[in-house]
Amino acid sequence: MSAPARPPERGAKQSPERAQPANRARDNILGRVRQALGKTGPDPTAREAALAHIATHPIGPRPALPADLRQRFLENAAKLESSVDQLARREEIPRAVARYLTGIGVPPRASGWPEFADLPWGEAGVEVAIRPTQGQDPVGLTSVFCAIAETGTVVVLAGPEAPTGTLLLPDTHIAVVDGSRIVASMEDAFVLIRKERGSLPRAVNMVSGPSRTGDIEQTIVLGAHGPFRVHLLIVG
Amino acid sequence: MQIATMYFKDRAQVKLNDELLQYNLKKSKGKFVGKRAEAIRELDDFEGTRTAAREIRQRVLDNLDTYLEIFEQNATARGATVLWAETPEEANRHVLDIAAKHQLKKAIKSKSMVSEESALDHAIEQAGLKVVETDLGEYILQINDYEPPSHIIAPALHKSKEEVSALFAKVHGTPPKTGIQELCGEARAVLREHYLTGDLGISGANFLIAETGSVMLVTNEGNATLCTTLPKVHVVITGIEKIVPTLEEASTLLRLLTRSATGQSITNYVDILTGIKGAGEYHGAEHMYFILVDSGRTRVLASEVREALRCIRCGACLNHCPVYQNIGGHSYGWVYPGPIGSVITPMFIGQEMAVDLPNASTLCGACGVVCPVRIPLPELLRKHREAQVKEDLRPWVERLGLKGWTWLALHPGLYGLATRIGVRLMKMMGGYEGRIHKLPLVGGWSDGRDLPAPTGKTFRELYAAKRRSA
Amino acid sequence: MKVGLLVTCLVDMMRPSIGFAAIKLLESAGCEVVVPATQTCCGQPGYNSGDRASSKLLAAKLVAEFEACDFLVAPSGSCSGMVKTHYPELFADDAAMLARVTALAARTYELTDFLLNVAKIQAVPGRFEGTVTYHDSCSGLREMGVKAQPRELLAKVPGLKLAEMTEAESCCGFGGTFSIKFGEISARMSDNKCQNIEDTHADAVVLGDLGCMLNIEGRLRRRGNETTKVLHVAQVLAGDTD
Repeated sequence: MSAPARPPERGAKQSPERAQPANRARDNILGRVRQALGKTGPDPTAREAALAHIATHPIGPRPALPADLRQRFLENAAKLESSVDQLARREEIPRAVARYLTGIGVPPRASGWPEFADLPWGEAGVEVAIRPTQGQDPVGLTSVFCAIAETGTVVVLAGPEAPTGTLLLPDTHIAVVDGSRIVASMEDAFVLIRKERGSLPRAVNMVSGPSRTGDIEQTIVLGAHGPFRVHLLIVG
Repeated sequence: MQIATMYFKDRAQVKLNDELLQYNLKKSKGKFVGKRAEAIRELDDFEGTRTAAREIRQRVLDNLDTYLEIFEQNATARGATVLWAETPEEANRHVLDIAAKHQLKKAIKSKSMVSEESALDHAIEQAGLKVVETDLGEYILQINDYEPPSHIIAPALHKSKEEVSALFAKVHGTPPKTGIQELCGEARAVLREHYLTGDLGISGANFLIAETGSVMLVTNEGNATLCTTLPKVHVVITGIEKIVPTLEEASTLLRLLTRSATGQSITNYVDILTGIKGAGEYHGAEHMYFILVDSGRTRVLASEVREALRCIRCGACLNHCPVYQNIGGHSYGWVYPGPIGSVITPMFIGQEMAVDLPNASTLCGACGVVCPVRIPLPELLRKHREAQVKEDLRPWVERLGLKGWTWLALHPGLYGLATRIGVRLMKMMGGYEGRIHKLPLVGGWSDGRDLPAPTGKTFRELYAAKRRSA
Repeated sequence: MKVGLLVTCLVDMMRPSIGFAAIKLLESAGCEVVVPATQTCCGQPGYNSGDRASSKLLAAKLVAEFEACDFLVAPSGSCSGMVKTHYPELFADDAAMLARVTALAARTYELTDFLLNVAKIQAVPGRFEGTVTYHDSCSGLREMGVKAQPRELLAKVPGLKLAEMTEAESCCGFGGTFSIKFGEISARMSDNKCQNIEDTHADAVVLGDLGCMLNIEGRLRRRGNETTKVLHVAQVLAGDTD
């Protein structure tokens, strides 16, 4: 990338440049962009300015939210057709899962993230396989990194202990939300990711209710490709 | 995509007489417009947010080379490969090279307008590979012999459930379904199989994030999430203008995008994908590619309509356009319909290929008022009209008419005389009913409506007479 | 205050009575009305058709005719919008003209906006027995911010009841030369407008722009509607509705 840009030659097809078509296209495109902007070459001052701008992470206008973010989160999650259960302690999760699944008539067989391995699933009569899923499990159990009050969204970060498929492939997704980690807006979620993780994981999946489509006659149908149901267990 | 922009008038006429399409358009109009109006009320400062969004997008365009390089650097640092394509053909070639390199057999694709520009699906199929569109609307169109989409965000907007039912029965070989729920269920089952067997995930990009080298994808169905989670290779194909500096700025744009598009406060899935999968990760792509496509965008950047590159493809200008509302997206004849399409299409395929598009607007201004990034669409349509005059693309009758009118209007004495005669003639033509049923030269008017006749004298002569008698 | 009336070419030729109604209203609001005798066209047809050169010639002529007035008022949202929002753009690269144009643009008003917000008219001379519905013309609405003004003034007309139509803000399909170049699409748009008007069962549709007026009346009659009147807001306010 540090090689000086050469103007495209006529008959370039036969020239050795054919070996690096990607770089040729890159140089030509950036050249045309600069020409359109009235620049002659790379602009170190503009680069410094852009990096400085990025470093400020400017936040735009945001709708005002009430002090009670939890309440707002609950309202918005309900609007997006996530169902919600509130628990005092983490140990209550298995029984809450059993209760929910019995209520909707889904077999109590889940694929879950490793962090839930220590919970007393057997007592609650729920079978939880601690492994990634390929879609064979009726239920997927994940935690979330944080939740967003403004939109009723849960933010899921991918990782070795957090396979993404668990929230996508099963018909029912149960997500455990730490009640102390409900932030106001998406911007706050990004600030929190930077603070706690430093950089973005491979995937940040923000889920706001079950998968849906309106592509046939604009009639909303749930469960387009992903889960038909998203159930949130807010702990604490 | 095959270009049919030169047949705009004929196509529009067909669509005006297509009763089913008219019914579907009417139904969707109310939903899109009404839901957006409701959703923007949730923002305390909608107009301020629009201004902020314009600035975010404009900052990138004003420094596009810089932000592209920053993006490239950060994406590369996370193990992604950034490729560049000057033309649609080059973009397709990149995809096929990637498929060959990793020995990929089946592509699963979430919606990408840029790939419509390059007819990527055809290129993949010609190379002997399989490709499956996974957005339900796009899938419906694909299995109907690649019918072109009629709307940026609701591609199969023009189809009724009966049409979809017949299509599914034919293609899937299943008994016809009657309910929309059942139809969606059938598509779900068919597509699930493809998700699990696809080895190449192709997506577009709602935004590219410069600071992190990520792509942000916005869907309700979750199909983009699946396409970028399961296959071993993920290719992002998108335009060079899609960059946003930071995640925070993308958040501002997202507030406007989903509200302007479908009247939602957020879509069900928003995915931010950064680089290849890490050690110990089960899901996620082992190889990630970005194909950054020019194919006309630098031409837009260098032109008088450069502000059109701020577009975030929400479709609000279509939904609010009274012309689009009556003729639908197919009439426009290329990838991007409606006001934004009429601004960018001539830059992509050539002004002379799309002469009708910038003129097919009343300049009513509805598009400019709803645009979340404040693109002055009516002004940009006017810029194209000016270019057409400069490039001699207007018919001589029109040019002569305008020049004649201007000359007359610059000579008030003659103007007064000509209009006195003119209005008397027209009054005669109007007869006792006071309206003209057929007009010479401007039949376009009188084919569809009468012209109320003038009352017989001009204001200037009546006013002069009044002054004299006073 | 000295108000220059931009009659507009369509009023001049097609409906002179609207010009007189405007004068009556402005005078009843205490204005001194002048009508520059040499005025013709504001240059909008050329501007919207891409013929910038023609448009500039007519714009320069109009500026010279009106700049001596305290205000320029037009019974049209599109012509006043042309002066106010597009003249400055036309002369963006000509500092001397730009200064003159900007000065005039700042004093340019659509009639109802001027009557209500500048002349602060208290009562109007007109009377109307019946129901009307109001069509928001595009340029008036989006370039000049005319929405509440005509409705507030119509509320002062004794006997008049207002029934809003659905999609009052939707374009009627006129669009200047659009109505000729794309007659079929234009006619369909007009048809939608006519349907919305008829659905209100109003006795008259009232509006503030001649283009829309001719278009809507032309389509209503072609549809066989012989009864719904199509009136300019100045006619109703001035009591000149025959």
